[in-house]
Amino acid sequence: MQAFSVMFYRQVLRFFRARARVVAMIVNPLIWLLFFGLGWSRVFQSPMARMIFGGVDYLTFLAPGIFAMTLFSQSFIGGVSVIWDKQFGFLKEILVAPAPRSASIAGRIVGDATLVTLQGLVVLLLTFPLAHALRPAGLLPSLFLGFLMALAFAGLGTALALKMESLEGFQMFMMILILPLTFLSGAIYPIAAMPGWMQALAYANPLTYAVDGARHYLVGEAAARFSLALDWGLLLLLGLGFLLLAVLAFRRATLEG
Amino acid sequence: MQPAILAEGLKKRFGPVEAVRGVSFAVRPGEIFAFLGPNGAGKTTTVHMLTTLLRPSAGRAEVAGFDVVRAPTEVRRRIGVVFQDPSLDRELTARENLYIHGRIYGLGGAALRAKIDEVLDLVELRAAADQPVKQFSGGMRRRLELARALVHRPRVLFLDEPTLGLDPQTRAHVWDYIRRMKAEAGLTLFLTTHYMDEAEQLADRVAIIDRGTIVALGTVAELVRRIGGELLYLRLEGGAGCRPLPGVQSCRELPDGRLLLEVEDAASALPRVLEALLAAGIRAREVTLRRPTLNDVFIRLTGRELRDELTRPGATAWMRRR
Ligand SMILES: Nc1ncnc2c1ncn2[C@@H]1O[C@H](COP(=O)(O)OP(=O)(O)OP(=O)(O)O)[C@@H](O)[C@H]1O
Ligand SMILES: [Mg+2]
Repeated sequence: MQAFSVMFYRQVLRFFRARARVVAMIVNPLIWLLFFGLGWSRVFQSPMARMIFGGVDYLTFLAPGIFAMTLFSQSFIGGVSVIWDKQFGFLKEILVAPAPRSASIAGRIVGDATLVTLQGLVVLLLTFPLAHALRPAGLLPSLFLGFLMALAFAGLGTALALKMESLEGFQMFMMILILPLTFLSGAIYPIAAMPGWMQALAYANPLTYAVDGARHYLVGEAAARFSLALDWGLLLLLGLGFLLLAVLAFRRATLEG
Repeated sequence: MQPAILAEGLKKRFGPVEAVRGVSFAVRPGEIFAFLGPNGAGKTTTVHMLTTLLRPSAGRAEVAGFDVVRAPTEVRRRIGVVFQDPSLDRELTARENLYIHGRIYGLGGAALRAKIDEVLDLVELRAAADQPVKQFSGGMRRRLELARALVHRPRVLFLDEPTLGLDPQTRAHVWDYIRRMKAEAGLTLFLTTHYMDEAEQLADRVAIIDRGTIVALGTVAELVRRIGGELLYLRLEGGAGCRPLPGVQSCRELPDGRLLLEVEDAASALPRVLEALLAAGIRAREVTLRRPTLNDVFIRLTGRELRDELTRPGATAWMRRR
């Protein structure tokens, strides 16, 4: 358990040490919300548009999407720190230690997921004044749901990074995954408006269920597409599943790659 | 007494490359044991096998009484490692690096804080303790790695090229720390190096490793005695080569044009050698007398220079082919 808590602590230390990163992580979602969200909300003012977005203004529709998107991309990008640890050699320090490897890798992933969830909190707090229709009561459950998704993608990112030698390889995955999954999640436009084949892809996208759950809590049941049970169930399964995947990948890790 | 490290027929193959070709040795508790060999000899690979990071392809090894493959956790509990390549967290301070290390090894509280101060003092980094490691010089980082490896009081300490790339003063410092560490009761040290003076300065016993095999093992004095006598370097007028000379056990032409003669006792052999040369009409332009070093042992055993920077293209002429 000591290895779990100290690796958690290390992620926290490193996070707050990288000030530029902290700022970027807050500023980035705000750019989406302000320049993307405010702009389009002027376009989508007709009653017809409100109907498409579940009876709310576009900014309110978008806000849970930006929240989930931030958690998703930031947690997945957490895998980069594993690659740095490989390149700067710190990973060897962990590999040669007697502490259970499952505890040290889990500590780091849960640490990442927690930090990312805190960012999500900051993003939401900044969003409330802009999107008036959001329900403050939805904040807490959204954060918990978001944490599960962050766990899933931090786990996936870590597992992938453990298999990779270079930053470039991981960046390729980031490119392949982050933008498409974001567009295919219903974060920016409703799933109902997508063509059939795209809807099928959206259903296979874990991010979809985080967006849906957050929208359920923050906007209202009418804005959601799936049941809360499905959102929670799937994200719980994926969170634990990818965490386990990373643990297994790290248990077997040797210097031979 | 149970050896601190025991290796029996240890081998490691990476695809077509056989990096370590069956090494066997035993390190006694409390001794400093050095692996001396050129680049690519298999030193790091051996360290990685002994520290449970690589699985041997064949053979077995025990460290502190535990098998490295069957009981890796027990081995890890009892060893400290300074890797050849850096392994610090550069974003964190020295103290944070040591703290995280201690916690991973199950330490904590006041005992850990005291131990951290103690090791920082040992390597004289107390003043820089709260600076991020990325601001450290190479020598400071190396010293911090040494300190970190001691935090959890290991029984066996592995140092893979502890002074690689350091300037002479820093190297002397690090040697000093290593000697002080040895003075701590019960600590066994396994170090690798390709500096012969490092092995001569520090090691109780030295294994010379070349191309994955141990070619000689013993104390520095024992190894040097294998040369049998003393060495004379001669530069002859007109670049004359080797020829039979009285009292000379062997003669080799060096890449720089000098002759390297092995003699039993240089003081008595030199006048006779010079006389014989004069009788043949050859004058010596330069004479150097030297006691043999580990480098000479290495040349004798492998036909090559240990210090790669001394190997010149002409040296291939007398390289032993395998
Ligand atoms: N992971 C690996 N995959 C393939 N070959 C490897 C690997 N690690 C080492 N080797 C090869 O094994 C041989 C021994 O390497 P090793 O690093 O053990 O040498 P060394 O004695 O430590 O050398 P140096 O003084 O340069 O550190 C080399 O030929 C090297 O290329
Ligand atoms: Mg090496």
